Amino acid sequence: MSETPFRNPGWAGNTGEFELSEADVRGSAFVGRRPPEGVHPSTSASYPFMRVERDPGAKLFDGPWRERFEKMLTRYPTAMAALLPTLNLAQELRGHISPETMDEVAGLLGLSSAYVRGVATFYTMYNKRPVGRYLIQVCTNISCSLCGADEVLAAFLKHVGAELGENSSDGNFTVVEAECLAACGFPTCVQINERYFEDVSAGDVPAILKRLVSELEGE
Amino acid sequence: MAYPYRHERETRVLSEGFGDPRARTVAGWREFGGYRGIARALEIGRAETIDEVRRSGLRGRGGAGFPTGLKWSFMPKDARRPHYLLCNADESEPGTFKDREIIRWTPHQLIEGCLVGSYAIGASHCYIYLRGEFFESNQIMARALEEAYREGIVGKDILGSGVDIDITLHVGAGAYICGEETGLMNSLEGRRGEPRIKPPFPAAVGAFGMPTTINNVETLAATAHILRHGGDWYRQWGTDKSPGTKLFCVSGHVNRPGNYELPLGFPLMELIEDICGGMREGRALKAVIPGGSSVPVMSADECRDCSLCYEGVEAAGSMLGCASVIVMDETADIVRQVRRMAQFYAHESCGQCTPCREGTAWATRILRRIEDGRGTEDDLDTLLQISDQMTGTTICVLSDSLAAPVISSIRKFREDYLALVRRGERVGVA
Ligand SMILES: Cc1cc2nc3c(=O)[nH]c(=O)nc-3n(C[C@H](O)[C@H](O)[C@H](O)COP(=O)(O)O)c2cc1C
Ligand code: SF4
Ligand code: FES
Repeated sequence: MSETPFRNPGWAGNTGEFELSEADVRGSAFVGRRPPEGVHPSTSASYPFMRVERDPGAKLFDGPWRERFEKMLTRYPTAMAALLPTLNLAQELRGHISPETMDEVAGLLGLSSAYVRGVATFYTMYNKRPVGRYLIQVCTNISCSLCGADEVLAAFLKHVGAELGENSSDGNFTVVEAECLAACGFPTCVQINERYFEDVSAGDVPAILKRLVSELEGE
Repeated sequence: MAYPYRHERETRVLSEGFGDPRARTVAGWREFGGYRGIARALEIGRAETIDEVRRSGLRGRGGAGFPTGLKWSFMPKDARRPHYLLCNADESEPGTFKDREIIRWTPHQLIEGCLVGSYAIGASHCYIYLRGEFFESNQIMARALEEAYREGIVGKDILGSGVDIDITLHVGAGAYICGEETGLMNSLEGRRGEPRIKPPFPAAVGAFGMPTTINNVETLAATAHILRHGGDWYRQWGTDKSPGTKLFCVSGHVNRPGNYELPLGFPLMELIEDICGGMREGRALKAVIPGGSSVPVMSADECRDCSLCYEGVEAAGSMLGCASVIVMDETADIVRQVRRMAQFYAHESCGQCTPCREGTAWATRILRRIEDGRGTEDDLDTLLQISDQMTGTTICVLSDSLAAPVISSIRKFREDYLALVRRGERVGVA
């Protein structure tokens, strides 16, 4: 456990007395990889869409992705209700939602472009422009901020070497401030792509970044 | 494998399977007694299911504390049109982190709750609106739901009863306001998550224009146990007005923050001193926000005799909300924290109502000015005045949610504000 700054057992504070492994807590052993076409329609709208690998020029939607899109549509009484899931899917594939993507999604669902732009810009999880391979979101809301979130944010900015919200020059990282991530008992909570890192202190930051880079190299 | 860190004084109903990865499978959940609640509901029928929940006295765990059985009884009795159950898993109230634990440790507990709720209100489709940031919970929930479909627990003819109930996992995209019930309905329909004016109430015109009920994750999870054991069994804990157990999310300056399941009515100071191992580094208690960032701040004095039930916290001048207890010690900088909250509400305001859109932004600017030592005493009056105009004047209560901490902090921690506006001195460091 000393290598990884992830210590939170998902229950009480960091007392260093836990037997649970990271896989237990994250459920990663239980979850496993999921195919792009989805498994069952009931869950087809719900996979991660913050992959490291993305293709901004990918077609909306082809092959297995098309299959998943069509499964999603069966779950709602209106096509409009599939708008958020469709934008999620587009972002999963392309990494961000450009104005052109919004227009394409509008075409797919028979909605007007203006309408889709109005909705897409309402939600913060749609990246309106490309972000780094890792989007690092540091919670600075009340519980985290009481326990040093500002120092954690500063440490990320320093070690990544980019301004808040800007991409690092190697394209690996973008650091932003986040609102409460619902892990307030384990401050500071940092969401990196689809993963939460909890109990993060400023001193843990270099090790986290190292781990992320080594994961990139391992790909 | 067990969670080594539990407290012996906990009463574990909802949290029994926490920390045990086996609870993530149907077979594992059955070992915990799972899926007996829905089986019994199907046996006793729809009306009797609502009565059982009504007897339990369960109150909504999403913040407002509205009696769940009563809410269910508002739904039309004959399901001529589609009815919907929406499970509110948008958990984004600062300080709250309980629903995430329910979902990622015991996803079948939630599925069972959704089945009970859907059956009770005559819904054949339930949407779980999961907050977009919850990727792990999302994956765990997806896997569990797929297994439940395979096992015939969800979908057509559930558990061989002839009743059809579908559950769809729907994922949001980052907006606190989508946790508000009508904002959630709009968001589910593919719109901006802007709250709707009530009436009409969701039980008459809700999602897709159909009768709809919205319940929090913890509420629905509790109904599974209530159906299994009976409403009277649930009343063995808690108080007359606040029956049952509740997950308390404790964060801030305590030694052992975390989720603890306790009977409602538990004394606040014992939660801090005993369950959470006391204040960090033995420091003195300064303030507590007992119910998530939207409720009034309590001073240390007010905490002394406060018991954690809906009526107990109200008597102490605040609200239980979703029982998200944020604890601050003497090093806390109240002005800075209130400014951070204001910033949050300004960011999350959907912008439909002028008092909210303008008020949250003004309050943030004024608080920042005070924090930077450029404020005046008049600013405090301005803040109170703005907050007053933000209360009870808007479509939803997001606006009131900022007014509450602003007003209460100026009343109770005026010295902190005065030190800044008079002498430019900060009180506290965090
Ligand atoms: C701004 C705002 C945000 C809310 N966020 C949530 C939330 O994230 N989760 C939740 O369960 N309830 C939230 N609520 C409360 C819901 O509107 C609603 O009362 C609740 O989901 C009803 O479920 P219950 O009766 O089971 O408590 C929020 C309310 C407001 C006004
Ligand atoms: S009070 Fe604020 S968040 Fe609620 S509807 Fe009005 S503007 Fe939107
Ligand atoms: S305040 Fe940081 S996760 Fe809730």
